[in-house]
Amino acid sequence: MTPFEFYKVNSSKYLFLIFCQLFLILGFINKADAQEKIFNAKTYSLDNGLQVVLIENHRAPVVTHMVWYKVGAADEPRGKSGIAHFMEHLMFKGSEGLAPGDFSKIVRSLGGQDNAFTSQDFTSYYQSIAVDYLPEVMKMEAGRMRGMNPPLEEVSSERLVILEERKQRVDNNPKSHFNEQIRYALFPNHPYGTPVIGWSHEIKALLWEDAKAFYDKWYRPNNAILIISGDITLEELKPLVQKAYGNLEPSDIPDRQWTSMPPLPGNYEITLKHEQIKQPTLVFIFRTPSASQDKEASLALEVFQEVMSGGASTRLYKSLVVDKKLATNISLSYDSLGIGETTLSIHAYPNKDVELSQLKLEVLNELREVILNGVKDQELKEAKTRMIDASIYARDSLKGAAMIFGMALASGLSIDDIEYWHKNIDSVTPQQIQDAVTKYINPDNSNLRPYIVGYMLPETD
Amino acid sequence: MKKSYIKIIIFTVLFTMSVHVNTALASDRFLDIQEVKTTNGFNAWLVEDHTLPIISIKFSFKGAGSKNATKDKQGITRLLSSTLDEGAGNYDSQAFQQALLNHSISLSYSSNRDHFSGELLTLTKYKDKAFELLKLSINEPTFSDDAVMRMKNAISSNIRNKISNPEWMAYRVLLDKAYSGHPYALNSGGTLTTIPSLSRDDLINYKNNYLTKDSLVISAAGDINASELAILIDDIFSHLPDNSKASNIPSIEIQNGGNIFLYELDIPQTIIEIMQPGIDRSSPDYFTAQLLNFILGGGGFGSRLTEELREKRGLTYGVYSSFSMRDHADAMTVSTSTKNETAKECLDLIQSELNKLKVALVSDKELSNAKSYLIGSMPLTLSSTSNITSLIHNLQIDDMPLDYLDTRANKLNAVTKEDIKMLAKKLLAPEQLTISLVGKPRGINVTESITELPNAE
Repeated sequence: MTPFEFYKVNSSKYLFLIFCQLFLILGFINKADAQEKIFNAKTYSLDNGLQVVLIENHRAPVVTHMVWYKVGAADEPRGKSGIAHFMEHLMFKGSEGLAPGDFSKIVRSLGGQDNAFTSQDFTSYYQSIAVDYLPEVMKMEAGRMRGMNPPLEEVSSERLVILEERKQRVDNNPKSHFNEQIRYALFPNHPYGTPVIGWSHEIKALLWEDAKAFYDKWYRPNNAILIISGDITLEELKPLVQKAYGNLEPSDIPDRQWTSMPPLPGNYEITLKHEQIKQPTLVFIFRTPSASQDKEASLALEVFQEVMSGGASTRLYKSLVVDKKLATNISLSYDSLGIGETTLSIHAYPNKDVELSQLKLEVLNELREVILNGVKDQELKEAKTRMIDASIYARDSLKGAAMIFGMALASGLSIDDIEYWHKNIDSVTPQQIQDAVTKYINPDNSNLRPYIVGYMLPETD
Repeated sequence: MKKSYIKIIIFTVLFTMSVHVNTALASDRFLDIQEVKTTNGFNAWLVEDHTLPIISIKFSFKGAGSKNATKDKQGITRLLSSTLDEGAGNYDSQAFQQALLNHSISLSYSSNRDHFSGELLTLTKYKDKAFELLKLSINEPTFSDDAVMRMKNAISSNIRNKISNPEWMAYRVLLDKAYSGHPYALNSGGTLTTIPSLSRDDLINYKNNYLTKDSLVISAAGDINASELAILIDDIFSHLPDNSKASNIPSIEIQNGGNIFLYELDIPQTIIEIMQPGIDRSSPDYFTAQLLNFILGGGGFGSRLTEELREKRGLTYGVYSSFSMRDHADAMTVSTSTKNETAKECLDLIQSELNKLKVALVSDKELSNAKSYLIGSMPLTLSSTSNITSLIHNLQIDDMPLDYLDTRANKLNAVTKEDIKMLAKKLLAPEQLTISLVGKPRGINVTESITELPNAE
């Protein structure tokens, strides 16, 4: 989904998220009606290259303070999967003036909340707290940009924690394991095929030296974005930022060097049969351009997602669940944010006594229908209205604006891409949608970008 | 930051003028909650806020939760909550859903064991349509055969997915054992057997018997004022049946204390779910319990359990404790997961930490940090219009006074280390835990092996 889409209002019983993301995507949009820009965010940069973005929100005397590093799991050296995420954990285990564990405890003692997450493209650290304590969290956060120094025994115990995390999120559930496998097949020869949390056998072999090398290479002010949303003005913010972050030294950040995917002619069907699975599930995954790779196609696919899967009266659900009664539920989701290619996935639960092959055919026919005949004016208009309405709801969140800017900027988008999103969505044409689906979501001509059909089945037939 | 300067200036000016200041300024209260009494006798709470063009309403029928369902009707509240918005009045199922969707209105129903609830979220510009749809769904739902069947199928798929989830499985066994003999032990979401068997009459009867005026609690927040809310409430809810048919349900102590139940599953971790007796929401120990829980395991990093299990030993990614206060049973729960080889070690550590709290005072720092967080983090709960509604709604359901949020800080601050130790001593029962495990743990003396999930299929 797109960051703004998360705020689309939907009856919760129709949404089901099978993919368990390791990072939370929240969108937060300001009042969009009658406004040129959605957020009116302000931005500037420090001399050391740190980009600063402020989105004011004076509803409550609180702020969200986030640092986004433009480095993620995709930047890991080969054989060291999981090091970016491991590093994220180690950032809490001792830094300038802080003993292991102090960071979060201090934030808590000030009535704040903190967390962090790692994705393929970026790593983010953030706190939400009363605005009066912003200087304190800035000091601590800036202190660990270059000052991380966990004791070695903490490195060992945290490696164990990560292994437990992997077991809990993935290995306990064959479906999660299967999703990993699907992703691996979808991105041949590309770092996106490796899970962010890493493979168990490689996690076990990760050393402090690996983390330190990664840290020194990427964790610099000129490779970071500082985002603040909440009850503070630019005039109040600037001196605080200068004091906390002004003295950090930049360095040369290497170019990201990712291996790329070869064109391949065949498509995959991958099957998992497992005794722990009780509900047969059908999954389709296509590789798609991200917003930073092909803006026009990406916007078109965002609207396509809404037309196909915005709710119970939209195409997929209406056709396959309500009218043909072939599925008990179905949803389509397009992920627009990524430095590299992203995905569009469809999940469906077949109704009782429905053959998976039949359901598969019907889903693919829905795609063919759009390729052949496009989308109708009425459903397009309704989809756009809903998406623009979602932008108003997105404003109704404490840290949403900061999240959306962080994710967008760290994924290669510009501030204007966010500020004018509602206008960009509005200008998507039926032709653009038809073209994007024909080029990227085409079951009959995948254009050498293999897509995957996945089956999750109970053990017994 | 600007706001605090303005407050200081106003106060200074008023003081120097020697005018008697009415100290009940809105800014003195944590949240400006209004009590709204309607002509037809409803009583709602409202936090009016016109910053955003959004209105949020939450309402619950107290006592109308799944606890009223008999074993063969498990899931009736789940099905009811799924079908109330599948056609009403002149709207068939698709038309109703389309009306919601194309006006970006969120209307949803849900139920827990105790209460049956509804939530409405709308932009101001669509409020008339939103209120119309809410009124229709709560008064004239159609329950067409087609829609009911479709929702049954969706719920069944959902149940099948849950049955594959080890955390859900552990919790299912825990509830079955901890509430043994009580309606709480049943599956509130229904089973693969009961869901298909529920009828349209079941839905109509349940609605008429339990979704009644005498049990209604209503909360609202956002772009709406008291008089508009009062009119709207009377219009929407006045035609519901007067009196609930809910019968008295007895209270129950947590059962199977000291027993360990294992559902063996070939996964790398053991999921651990624990229950022991808790306290009532209205207990004078409530605030002591909040702090006790934060220190034990509710606070995440810095809590006893997280320090011992995760930070020091790397045994788990997450361990938490919480108090569960239902209408007829009170519990304290602890949950975690760890690789099978260290399941016993985790259980021993949990018991040991419970014991420690009974015999030794917590430190000054632990207590002050806990108070700082529980008090200082309150503004963060006001993170959205619907979160504000939920906050006040929970207070109403718990029969808390209107000024609860204004006295809360003082009550928390008044708790001493001795209070915590005294509560721990009388409440914590490390030898009487009801323990549910899923996985393949080693070296644990299991009381009973569970081979079939109770009330699932």
